[in-house]
Amino acid sequence: MAKDMEKLYAERFKRYVTAMRNEKPDRVPIRPFVAEFVATYAGYTCQQVTQDYEMAFAATRKCAADFDWDAVVPNMVYGWSGLTQAIGLKYYAVPGVDLSVNTGFQYKEPSEEDAFMKVDEYDALIADPTGFLFNVWLPRVSTDVRAPGEPNTFRNNLSFLKGGMAMLQYFMAFGTQVARLRQESGTVSAIAGMFKSPLDILADKLRGYINLCWDLMERPKKVRAACEALAPHLTHLAVTSADPTKNLPLGFWMHRTCTPFITREHFENIHWPTLKPMLQEVWKHGNQVLFYAEGKWGPHLARFAELPEGSIVFHCDRDDIFEVHRILGHKFCISGGVPNGLLSFGKPHEVRECCKKIIDGVARDGGYIMDSSAIVQNDAKIENMRAMTDATREYGVY
Amino acid sequence: MARPKKAARAKAPAPGKRPPGVCVPWEEKEKEFPPMTGDQELVRRVWQDVDGLAYMYIWHCVLSF
Repeated sequence: MAKDMEKLYAERFKRYVTAMRNEKPDRVPIRPFVAEFVATYAGYTCQQVTQDYEMAFAATRKCAADFDWDAVVPNMVYGWSGLTQAIGLKYYAVPGVDLSVNTGFQYKEPSEEDAFMKVDEYDALIADPTGFLFNVWLPRVSTDVRAPGEPNTFRNNLSFLKGGMAMLQYFMAFGTQVARLRQESGTVSAIAGMFKSPLDILADKLRGYINLCWDLMERPKKVRAACEALAPHLTHLAVTSADPTKNLPLGFWMHRTCTPFITREHFENIHWPTLKPMLQEVWKHGNQVLFYAEGKWGPHLARFAELPEGSIVFHCDRDDIFEVHRILGHKFCISGGVPNGLLSFGKPHEVRECCKKIIDGVARDGGYIMDSSAIVQNDAKIENMRAMTDATREYGVY
Repeated sequence: MARPKKAARAKAPAPGKRPPGVCVPWEEKEKEFPPMTGDQELVRRVWQDVDGLAYMYIWHCVLSF
């Protein structure tokens, strides 16, 4: 059995990596980013897979064993609430605590008045990003952490101790999960390492999206300087968390830095000039970046086409995948394109037709990976996920 | 007996500047030790490795969670 799984793993690995190199494998790889769907399939609630990562791991392994998928993310319900609760993070809404047991975890934006970074703190962030995060940001986002100068507390000390130990435990557990996926079902780990843009960090975790919009209009030079200050740190994290064998891509979670969330001018003058050098640096180290391009990025595809050939995999959400293929397909592998709404509300024969249309239009020369448009949550129907899998196996043979 | 290796003194980062991977720079920590009797390079390397774990902690808080 072990030999069969290793053989299966080798086939799937070769298929997946070949497609990511924008070449033609034996057939179209399937790599669904299944999040709370794994809970539905394995019979868990969202609360269970969010609060106990071993349940999330087990549910992912069950999906990997039962579906003929080439690769999966080892745990796409990655926001383990055991860790976030240990640190005391205020910006999580957790199923079974803040939300119903079957709603996926949420991020809570700070109010405009209560941003985690105040408008007059750009210079402090720019001067010392790491110091700012420890001394100003963390005390604001945690119920337990105290800022330097405040009286120390037992809970402050425990937040650091428990947070650190829990993070170490969780990250180390991924090693075992990746090995078990390989050994038990011959499944490849889809991504390795983490990448985000400086402007997204400013929006998501520091100023909030609305405040950032004001900042882009009223103090764009500060925003650009902040992005430039954050960039070396985010690049360092990317490079040090990347796959040392240079086969698996870093996951780049692209949030709200496309038009119309920001203006074209801000994309061109702030976002792209600070992001592009980071991507080039990661590629210099030999690692691809998977652009998990949630939303619509059509106005910016020409910019992405500037990147070195093969340096990214472009995942398509709401863009027209045929247009994406036209602009980027000669240089980069494309993935995605099966609408989540179809997987949730459609019929299996409609899913099959969609898959066939994508394969015929995008995958004929290789360089395509089958996936839904966005992460698959607990509203996707099991029969539709089967239809996507079976259709790809049937039609996606070279 | 071989003389203990002395690590070359790196240039301390500019005030307020903390480069990627660093929380408490070695140049700052080094001053707190008495004159070392053994391998200073070994102490430096391990200090920087463990310091990097704290760096990883805060940056993964903001990046991944």
